[in-house]
Amino acid sequence: MNSLVDRFSTTSAQSEIRRAQALAADDEEFSDAAWGSEAGFGSLAKGVPTFSVPSIADPSAFLRLHTDDHADPNCRIKIQHGTTTLAFRFKGGVIVAVDSRATAGSYIASGTVKKVIEINPYLLGTMAGGAADCQYWETYLGIHCRLHELRNRERISVSAASKYLSNLVYGYKGMGLSMGTMICGWDKTRCRVPAVFYVDSDGTRLKGDLFSVGSGSTHAYVSTAAGHRDAFSGNTCNLYHIKEDGWHFIGNYDISKMHYDGPGDVPGGPGKGYGYDIRVEGRSSANPPPVAT
Amino acid sequence: MASVFSPPGFDFSNQLRNNFMAQKGLPLPKATSTGTTIVGCLFDGGIVLGADTRATEGPIVADKNCEKIHYITESIRCCGAGTAADTEFTTALISSNMELHGLTTGRKPRVVTAMTMLKQMLFRYQGQVGAALVLGGVDSTGPHLFTIAPHGSTDKLPYVTMGSGSLAAMAVFESGWKANMSREAALQLVKDAIAAGIFNDLGSGSNIDACIITASHTEMLRNVEMPNQRVEKERQYGFRRGTTAWKTENVRSLIVNEEITLLGGGDEMDTT
Amino acid sequence: MQHVAVPHAQPQQRQFNPYSENGGTILAIAGANFSVIAGDTRQSEGYSIQTRYAPKVFRLTDKAVLATNGFAADGNMFVKKVRQRLEWYRHAHAKDMPLRAIARLIQTMLYARRFFPYYVYNILGGIEEDGSGAVYSFDPVGSYEREACRAAGAASSLVQPFLDNQIYFKNQTPAPGTTHPAHLPLSHVLSLVIDSFTSATERHIEVGDGLEIYVVLAKGSALQGLDAIQGLSELTTTDDGERMFVIRRNLKRD
Repeated sequence: MNSLVDRFSTTSAQSEIRRAQALAADDEEFSDAAWGSEAGFGSLAKGVPTFSVPSIADPSAFLRLHTDDHADPNCRIKIQHGTTTLAFRFKGGVIVAVDSRATAGSYIASGTVKKVIEINPYLLGTMAGGAADCQYWETYLGIHCRLHELRNRERISVSAASKYLSNLVYGYKGMGLSMGTMICGWDKTRCRVPAVFYVDSDGTRLKGDLFSVGSGSTHAYVSTAAGHRDAFSGNTCNLYHIKEDGWHFIGNYDISKMHYDGPGDVPGGPGKGYGYDIRVEGRSSANPPPVAT
Repeated sequence: MASVFSPPGFDFSNQLRNNFMAQKGLPLPKATSTGTTIVGCLFDGGIVLGADTRATEGPIVADKNCEKIHYITESIRCCGAGTAADTEFTTALISSNMELHGLTTGRKPRVVTAMTMLKQMLFRYQGQVGAALVLGGVDSTGPHLFTIAPHGSTDKLPYVTMGSGSLAAMAVFESGWKANMSREAALQLVKDAIAAGIFNDLGSGSNIDACIITASHTEMLRNVEMPNQRVEKERQYGFRRGTTAWKTENVRSLIVNEEITLLGGGDEMDTT
Repeated sequence: MQHVAVPHAQPQQRQFNPYSENGGTILAIAGANFSVIAGDTRQSEGYSIQTRYAPKVFRLTDKAVLATNGFAADGNMFVKKVRQRLEWYRHAHAKDMPLRAIARLIQTMLYARRFFPYYVYNILGGIEEDGSGAVYSFDPVGSYEREACRAAGAASSLVQPFLDNQIYFKNQTPAPGTTHPAHLPLSHVLSLVIDSFTSATERHIEVGDGLEIYVVLAKGSALQGLDAIQGLSELTTTDDGERMFVIRRNLKRD
């Protein structure tokens, strides 16, 4: 009887929820999960991500029109892009090095970006191309790596993780995603070797020893808008080392400091800076060429 | 020496190249445009011209107190809106020609003369010279007020507005203008019209300039009202000596030591 | 009825353009135990002012404030949806969502519209669970980062370099034997915010009319001279939590 009252009354708490759920269902954006403990997870509330798409004939043309692709840097919605990332495999694991600049159009949006995404304690992903695309999908990959662990009682291999990501973004091919990433890690269970995989939004997935993503590729967004924000400041290099026990953050190096003072006491290094003084040495009366002896 | 024929006036030789570059996605540098409010108003025995003083480059304020009322002759003035350089040079050129015209004819040149010169020039350049003008003055035939659009069309009206703030200013004129106003009432109306542009149009701002022209006298009222005084800053932004880093220090003496030795004698100038 | 010959040989292109740009600027600075989030109140389109008072800074919870900039309609709708999700969270968990979780929520909500973006630049400011002041900045499709300060919107390219110099001390060598402070005191930060907006008003046509500065103080921290500021009103709802204030000032209206 109570259930009958509940079902047809317009004031009980349950009917309130029901009405709100009906409203949400109209929206097709929220599931029941949004009310419970999964409430924090936005479009992932249903387990798989759902995306709003404009109801027009060609949504990807719409996206191209309004967001700044490399073809047209002049449109209105400026999305942040990353630039230079590199990673390589060696005897002692994997070294990952990235810069920290994000650009929006020709504007340097940030000089402190974390372009290494710490997927979990033994997997790293790098960011080149659309900053949001990389951040979101690599975070999402992290969720599924954890689920893999829980289901299979073993860590996911770098190969499997990168393939998972590759398959994910391949599902959105041609829709306008922009992502060039390297998934780096050390396989614990099967091959017991460090591994680096290159994955991009075209669907390419390559296994290799050494990759550099950024300038020159389709994800190149090199920009020096010195007039907007000082081109030398704020840009740093983040260095990671992946060993058998997972990744280690080595440090954050100021590129402008290295530019002027050099890398320090490195074997084979110049010992001093790469900067202005060295490049103009012997070119002016203020900095005359060394006297021949 | 010069073997290539170069016609007098504007040089269009880069136009083809510039169009090509624009197509390739390299836009031309933007000219400073005075997104502006300029007005003119007829009153009993004269003309009042008015202008704001903001010059913009896109959304950035390039000049907070520029002058938009240009000199044509002693009793003819011209407000300019549009591309700043075009209004400046067009009015300067016509001002020169009016002076020469006055010397040639031996009479004070008329407002219609300036208007005709301006419209013929602007029409010749088919709108490429981006000047929108309000021309006003008093001559032997009385007070006259014109607008000249960038393509060369003109209007003769008792009260006119131009520029991005023209609608705001015209709203004030339409509600407040009367025939045969006094000089004071006309000045107040012009000030109100410019103020409407300053506060309601983003392209216009800062101060009000006005110019009252009568048969006997022209009064230029530069910054007649300043309703947008700069706000004082909360902090002072001085920098300590040594704030800027340097790599090397090199101090050089700029004093030149010169030793003069006189050879022989009798070459000194005779100053007696 | 007139019949007009319609040429149908030519292809016609139609574009779906649901976006507009409404000017204005927002700015947030994080301190050691406070966060300051500010925005001007002018809303414009092209050369005309739509309104002189349209808030761009919104209180989300007792310790979180969201500033939005870009297309006002998208911004208002987005804030509405974030507030809805925060309310649901409150009902499910009987507490306010922590700031870092709100930041992640905003990322996923923005990214859900990856193919039909909200034309909104968001800056989230507030107090973290550890009591530190925090600022999160977002791009329109959800990439985000925790920072000490951030300016967005029309005059961001004017204000951000100023903040880089005054907050991060970029291009400033410290006096010999000293170092730059890691965090500035609240009164200093507030004067930098006010000066940023008076200067942006001077040189950017889309900034002006009014200024709203939200200040969030961590639990148990002193007023730090805030009571001496003119135009201050308190928004705090609980006695033992974070305190929230808003400062309203006038900006030039031309």
